[in-house]
Amino acid sequence: MTATTVRTKAAAKPKPVSFRKVILTGVAWLVGLAFVAPYLEMLVTALKPEHELMRSSYLPTKWEWSNFVDVWRAAPIWQNMKVSLLVAGAATIVTLLCGLPAAYYTARNRFRGRNAFLLLILITQMFAPTALVIGIYREMVALNLTDTLLSLILVNAAFNLPFCVWILHGYFASIPKELEEAAFLDGAGRIKALVRVTLPISMPGVVTAVVYTFIGAWNEYIVALTITSSPNRQPLTVAIPSFVTQYQEHWQYLFATSLIAIVPVVILFVFIERYLIGGLTAGSIK
Amino acid sequence: MQDTDVRTRGARATARAPRARTGRRLGQALIPYVWIGPATLLIAVVVLWPVVEMIRTSLQKISSSGVTLGSNGTTNYSDLFDEGDLVHVVVRTLLWVAGVVIVTMVISLALAQLLNARFPGRRVVRWAVIVPWAASVLMTALVWKWMLDNYFGVVNEVLLDLHVLHKPVNWLAHPDQAMLWMMWVAVFVSLPFASFVILAGLQTIPGEVYEAARVDGSGTFRTYFRITLPMLRPALLIAAIINVINVFNSFPIIWAMTQGGPGHATDTTTTFMYKIAFFDQNVGESAAMAVVNFALVLVMVLLYLRASRWREEVR
Amino acid sequence: MKRHLIGVIAAGLTVTLGMTGCSKGSSSGGGGGDSKTIKFVAAIYDDNTKGYWDGLIKDFEAANKGYKVNLEMVDWTQMDAKVKTYVQTKQTPDILNYNAFSDFARDGLTYPASEVVSPQVLSDFTPTFVDQTKYNGTQYALPFIASARLLFFNKDLFKKAGITNPPSTWAEVKSDAQKLKAKGAVGYGLPLGPEESQAEFYSWAMNDGGGWVDSSGKWAINQPANVDTLNFLRDLTKSGLTQPNPETTDRKTVFNQFAQGKVGMGINGPFTRAGFIDPVNKNLNYGIAPLPSKDGSVHNTLGVVDVLNAFKNGGKNKDAVTKFLNYFYQQQNYAKFLKLENFLPTTKSAGSALSSDPYYKQFVDALPQAKFAPTSNPAWSAVAGAVKQSMGTAVASGDPKKVLDGIQKTAEKNG
Repeated sequence: MTATTVRTKAAAKPKPVSFRKVILTGVAWLVGLAFVAPYLEMLVTALKPEHELMRSSYLPTKWEWSNFVDVWRAAPIWQNMKVSLLVAGAATIVTLLCGLPAAYYTARNRFRGRNAFLLLILITQMFAPTALVIGIYREMVALNLTDTLLSLILVNAAFNLPFCVWILHGYFASIPKELEEAAFLDGAGRIKALVRVTLPISMPGVVTAVVYTFIGAWNEYIVALTITSSPNRQPLTVAIPSFVTQYQEHWQYLFATSLIAIVPVVILFVFIERYLIGGLTAGSIK
Repeated sequence: MQDTDVRTRGARATARAPRARTGRRLGQALIPYVWIGPATLLIAVVVLWPVVEMIRTSLQKISSSGVTLGSNGTTNYSDLFDEGDLVHVVVRTLLWVAGVVIVTMVISLALAQLLNARFPGRRVVRWAVIVPWAASVLMTALVWKWMLDNYFGVVNEVLLDLHVLHKPVNWLAHPDQAMLWMMWVAVFVSLPFASFVILAGLQTIPGEVYEAARVDGSGTFRTYFRITLPMLRPALLIAAIINVINVFNSFPIIWAMTQGGPGHATDTTTTFMYKIAFFDQNVGESAAMAVVNFALVLVMVLLYLRASRWREEVR
Repeated sequence: MKRHLIGVIAAGLTVTLGMTGCSKGSSSGGGGGDSKTIKFVAAIYDDNTKGYWDGLIKDFEAANKGYKVNLEMVDWTQMDAKVKTYVQTKQTPDILNYNAFSDFARDGLTYPASEVVSPQVLSDFTPTFVDQTKYNGTQYALPFIASARLLFFNKDLFKKAGITNPPSTWAEVKSDAQKLKAKGAVGYGLPLGPEESQAEFYSWAMNDGGGWVDSSGKWAINQPANVDTLNFLRDLTKSGLTQPNPETTDRKTVFNQFAQGKVGMGINGPFTRAGFIDPVNKNLNYGIAPLPSKDGSVHNTLGVVDVLNAFKNGGKNKDAVTKFLNYFYQQQNYAKFLKLENFLPTTKSAGSALSSDPYYKQFVDALPQAKFAPTSNPAWSAVAGAVKQSMGTAVASGDPKKVLDGIQKTAEKNG
């Protein structure tokens, strides 16, 4: 752990440290609360009976826990969740399969086209599906891929790829060559050295790339909305808003489903938060 | 500098090894493209092709039902530039991006400092800060819309109970207020990623640097602005650029909260483009808007390329 | 180690491609060459819609061996985008439940009605709706459901404010709204947000001699009567007699407040009772009256009709499409849908089914005098889109005349 300005100052002037710490802790906890507050409101709303939704009251008069059960029957959420998982998972795998080799090779070798490739990565990082949705859509028509999960997987993988290559490139470049060279001397091949030596050390970078892609794909909305039409091929982001339609407003279901979608990702974050900071560090010092 | 040395040396070393084994020159020359091939292919097919498609569509005449009726020359573009709202929308988009990114960066700097400090429960607070990143932007936008409702939103309720307001305010109905609230939501969902990148950057600053500053007798502010901030530049640049992209392209926030209305008063280029296609039934003109949007992105790419060259000098 | 890695990669790819392949495969029955399988896209009206179609399709498939109907339910909020997608990708369903038809007819995408339903079904449609589904003199779409808009008013609030009868003239609307406001209620609930502002506006304009087109059928959106109508609505708004910000309010918000007893008056259709009022407050004491008019002489009603479009898609589907449509329009099947969804019939034979309920009778009785939006003009969908986006601003920051001029420009551009 490195020192921080706060600690440095505290150490410099031996003031009542505990007082500073109390303030600091209080502020930090309030900030934390502020970040989850909207989601607490989401939870409270998800637990209201439908007829209490549109009245002002902080808490429901009757806590309708059954909303979380009913919602599975009200819509094919399980199917949508499977689609979201499949798309996000597969997009992440594709991104890694394409991104890892490219990032590794460009970090270790110079060759004709290397700079062109890195420039491509740098530029396409600026492209987002939202701005290109009409083009993506017409392309998928040309490829006869509309309303398929494959199209969603490809789009999510491709648009998250540049950032992942960048992060991984930075990480690989920061790992001393000598480690791998030792493996070469042992007679290991390049791929073996990559897998056995470099990858384990690069775990934070890989985790960051994985998380970035996974979250990006999990939360993608506009392309899925445009490309998919069958309800059993729509991810959660498209399914969730359909609880509130022109004539019907099931906000309690909408928010219950939202929470069901958020919780797995938050848990994922809890497990990898440590790696994440390491991975982002690599990207930022490169 | 040192990094580059290592890389060049490494390239020579690895180039020698396989050649000794295989000795096939052509195969040798193709090896790099095997490694970068899949990534290049994926980007070319899925990212670059739509750009071409979009430009093509913007030059076609497409009927209101959606049938392509052939070439339309530049009519779609002249129709687009005839739209009285276009200039407002573009200016608003630039203000939206600049406002959100600047505020996000300033708050993120403070937030990262906080998350880097030691206090009991730091883990939990870090997890809490991550939540808006884990939640989809659309869901976050919807819950904010819910909280800002004129009749039963919790924001009005709290402000009424605290006697800050005397009667409910219809926050999302007035363009200026609505814009500020939506910018706040955009900041809110951008903070986790930005502050974590900066936090990561903070952790790369060696403790000795601060020690030295302390010995020199620098104050907290001086230390921060003379040492911490300059060393955070690379992290800030990454956080900012990713943020710019996301905010510029943010469709769900505005679409969920105001649909760009009333009229076009809270539209950005992205929602405007969508409305041209699906309200005005003009897919061709919408594609023209997309191309204009894309041109704006290219301008930002150029700015970014300049910035990153500057970054290499620093390194 | 190496083998292990390749194994993992292979497994990953298998999962990716295999699963996606699967899900693509299971759907390909959709719009393919199989002439006995058709795709039907239905709009979601409420929670019951899907159940109805699932049941009907099951019965249809049982009665017609070898025929298959693939159902896709689409919410109205996504419908426009979806439909555009279908047409552009040449993936139009065989039958589409929608609120527009004329641009499909113009572009030669759909069958004339006479080709896809039996003569009995064709002759059973109420003449009013046959007129609404013609393009260039030929009936293309099949009238599906109808709706009429009337004035809902809260009897308890009226009593409290000392008003005996619902308003007949606009002057009365204003004075009643003032009395209601004095009692702390919202006088008139005005939904001019993007959801259906074209319907709300037309409900008023048609009772001021205004409308969308002139007597020769040319667009006349910025005609003086329309400006006058907007000025009246603007005056109501600026006098604080409506809910705040009509330009961003949709019907469901207005009628949720109405159901809670906070709004005195509002215009809506037969769906209001089952959709908006009963779920919130079954005991609300409300009445229904004709739409008020400027001078109180004639009271026009806004009629709305949704339709079924039968797409050609190469022509092989005609037999299956015809069978399914005839099956749906059988009296008991059709009446069951109307009853479930609280809409008005478009056929003569189902006409009596709802008249027994005094609530529906008022709407059924109002239909013959109903005026409709010019849906037979292919430019209408673009005009409606422009109205939805900007009409509301006329009672807020915008100037009524300028707003209407803008919409008129859009209309003329689209023909």
